Parts: sequence; C-alpha cells; structure tokens
Amino acid sequence: MVYYLIVCRSLTYAQRTAAALERAGITARILRSPKLIDREGCSHSVKVAERSLTNALVILNRAGLNPKRIFLQAEDGGYREVGL
Amino acid sequence: MIYLDSAATTLQKPPAVARAAAWAVGNLASPGRGGHLPARRAAETAFACRQAAADLFGMESPEQVVFTFNATHGLNIAIRSLVKPGDRVLISPWEHNAVTRPLHALGAEIMVAKAPLFDRQGLLDAFEAGLEADPAAVVCTHVSNVFGFILPIEEIAALCRRRRIPLIVDASQSAGCLPVRQGKLGAAFIAMPGHKGLYGPQGTGLLLCAGEAVPLIQGGTGSASALQTMPDYLPDRLEAGTHNLPGIAGLLAGLRYVTARTPETIGRREGALIRRAAQGLARLPHVKAFQARDPACQSGVLSFQVEGMDCEAVGETLSRRGIAVRAGLHCAPLAHENAGTLEAGTVRASVSDFNTPAEVDRFVWEVSRLVQSSR
Repeated sequence: MVYYLIVCRSLTYAQRTAAALERAGITARILRSPKLIDREGCSHSVKVAERSLTNALVILNRAGLNPKRIFLQAEDGGYREVGL
Repeated sequence: MIYLDSAATTLQKPPAVARAAAWAVGNLASPGRGGHLPARRAAETAFACRQAAADLFGMESPEQVVFTFNATHGLNIAIRSLVKPGDRVLISPWEHNAVTRPLHALGAEIMVAKAPLFDRQGLLDAFEAGLEADPAAVVCTHVSNVFGFILPIEEIAALCRRRRIPLIVDASQSAGCLPVRQGKLGAAFIAMPGHKGLYGPQGTGLLLCAGEAVPLIQGGTGSASALQTMPDYLPDRLEAGTHNLPGIAGLLAGLRYVTARTPETIGRREGALIRRAAQGLARLPHVKAFQARDPACQSGVLSFQVEGMDCEAVGETLSRRGIAVRAGLHCAPLAHENAGTLEAGTVRASVSDFNTPAEVDRFVWEVSRLVQSSR
C-alpha cells in the first residue's frame, strides 16, 4: 500500500502533528523515520494514507504545524521526496 | 504525623500518583529511543504530561514545556540562557538560593528591589526604580518560600514587558495553588517543581519556555543524532539524557488532580488553613507569627518564632510530638535578611490540599504546650 511519511523535527512535534490529524479524523501513526530518509539521524515521522495527504496538509497548515519534509513510500518499498 | 512541610515537598499525594509511578517502572521505556511498545507508551505519557502542563499554565504549545529534575534545575537553565557574566540582574528580596547562587556563580551584578514584608506597593515601586538601571533580566519568585508572601507578579511582569526586559518567574510555591498563566505574564521562563503543589514525585520539575534557551547539559536526545550539537528546537534542546519517566507519569497524575480541583480552589483552601494557624498562634504569648494583614497577600505558608527559643529547638520538639515543620533559613537567607530574621531564623508551617482544620488546631495546641513548658 502506498502511504506518505511526514517527517517532523522532533518526537513532540510528531505527536502534535498526529494529534491534530487524529482530531480531524485522519488516521496518523507516529514512527521512527526510516534511515533512508533520515538526514540528521534519529527523527520521527507521521504516517498517513495516500488519500489523506491533501486533507492532512490543509489541517496542518491551519494548525500552524509545518512538516519538515514529506516522502512517498511506493509499493516497491522505495522512498521519493515530495515537494512541499 | 501531621505534615506541615509542603513548601519543601508535599508528602500526601493523590493515590493515582504513586500508582502511575509504580506502573511506569515496569512498563515505560525511553520516549523517542525506540519504536517498540514500551517506548511508544513512554512517549505518549510524556506528551500527555506536557499537554496537561501546557493547558494548566497557558502555554501555546506542549513543546515549550521542558522536563527538569526540580525548580532549581529549571532556574539554572533560565538564568544561563539570559544572563552573561557581569550582567546586571534585578531580583526581589524574597529569592531562594536557587536564584541567588547561580547568579553569584555567573558573576552577575545583583540588584535587589527591596521592600518590607507583605508590602506589595512598596515592592512594585522598588521594581519600577530598579528597572531604570536597565538590567539584562529580572528574576522574581511568585511566592516567598519563607513567609508565603504572594508577590504582585502580574504587575511586575507588566513593568518588565513595558521595558522589554526578560522575566524569569520562580513558581515553586505557586504552581498548583495560584493561577500561573504564561500568556498573561509574558515571562521568558517560568520554573516550577513537580513535587510540591503539583503533587508529583520528587525528581520532577517543569520549565515553561517562551524565550531562547541555552542547554545546561549536552547529550543524547533521541533526535538529530548525527549532529554533534544539541537540537535547536524544544523540548529536545534542553532534555539531554534519559527522562525520569516514573516521575513524569506520577507528575501527570498530579497535574490531572490539580486541573480537576483547580489551583484557585486549592489556594483558597490552603489560605484558609494558614489563616486559622496564624490566628491561633497570634493568641499565644511569646509567639510571633508573620501574618499578612491582607489575606490575599499570603499563601499556605506561615513563619513564626517563639521568644527565647532557638527555632531549631522548636522544630525538634514539634517533630517529637508528631508535627513536621521546617526551621532555620529555608535556603533563603536573602528573604530572612530582608525580614530581619536572618540571625534567629524562623519556624515554617506550610500546608497542602490534604491538610485539615483539625490538624491545624492540633499544631497550634502543640505550640502552646511548647511555649508553656519552656517558661
């Protein structure tokens, strides 16, 4: 299944991000960012379904929460950065 | 035992606090350090605690709530963040050594806004005059840990805002029993213990950060690990090393208790208890109780002296009779100097939400017995 990873600057930021999305009815799971997309070493991402990204970005923008970067995980397991 | 030393640490806690701390020992790992269940649970607990504190103290974001080991730890971070060696710093005359020692260690030029005990207007005038010297920062306690004097912190904060001078508030004696709202004060930092009015375990504290913070210690944060500098974002920037999760879990339970009861309700109850104690002591010969004329000026803390008796002897005798109080200088020699009690010290009784009028009456009766037997 294709999904997006919203990379956050800290665990607490990821928790705020996930909480804002969950409040709006979007399923959001926090996970440690895969090493492949983790430039600084050790970060947290919020995982959302492909269909939820547009809505999620609107909600986050409204809440003043800015994703650091966003990656698409394709079905082959690879990651592709998505322009914000 | 009747415990009247809550200004040092509250001993009676809501039962949920001990339950939460004990559960955490076997169930919570390190937040952010793994993706497994115990780490995730720990992260959820830490976040819930930050959020509860942010809501209670009017912080915009839970990221501004930093876990410390006590108020002293938070005050050291705040002072190091704002004060450079040689800087001029304005403080109240009621500060604890948790403020004055770090300032001395930094080589700051300390100015004291002096005014008599329980004189709110005099204190405001002294702050207004002191601010003319354009200090680099102001550090002010909300409530004196020796006398329970409630300082006019909102007015002092307004003076600081007008002059754009950063303010550090020591909320050690007010968090949990008086309204403390960062948004209203506009303080750069507010430091508080978790183990006093918030009813958390010892080894917990909170630093509310609205200003640029400088780490006191460096180390692992579970974030940006490839970098050799501390992260530039909160709370990670100030939280190096493993968290005290049992403490944080207990603190969360304490915060929920205070939120449900409300600080205003707790403060009113404590104020009424301490007035009862003060009025009882005032009726005794040879006893001097330091009571504010205006009840709105005094929290649940009361200092007293027994004429002709060493304060430590009074504390010892009361302890043998099952009353826990604290005697001496209470780590606040500046406050005693300002009140004229530096030489003799005082005995301090301080209450929590768990004390009762009957306990206060028994305390007064024991002091009266002590006075009679000493004559």
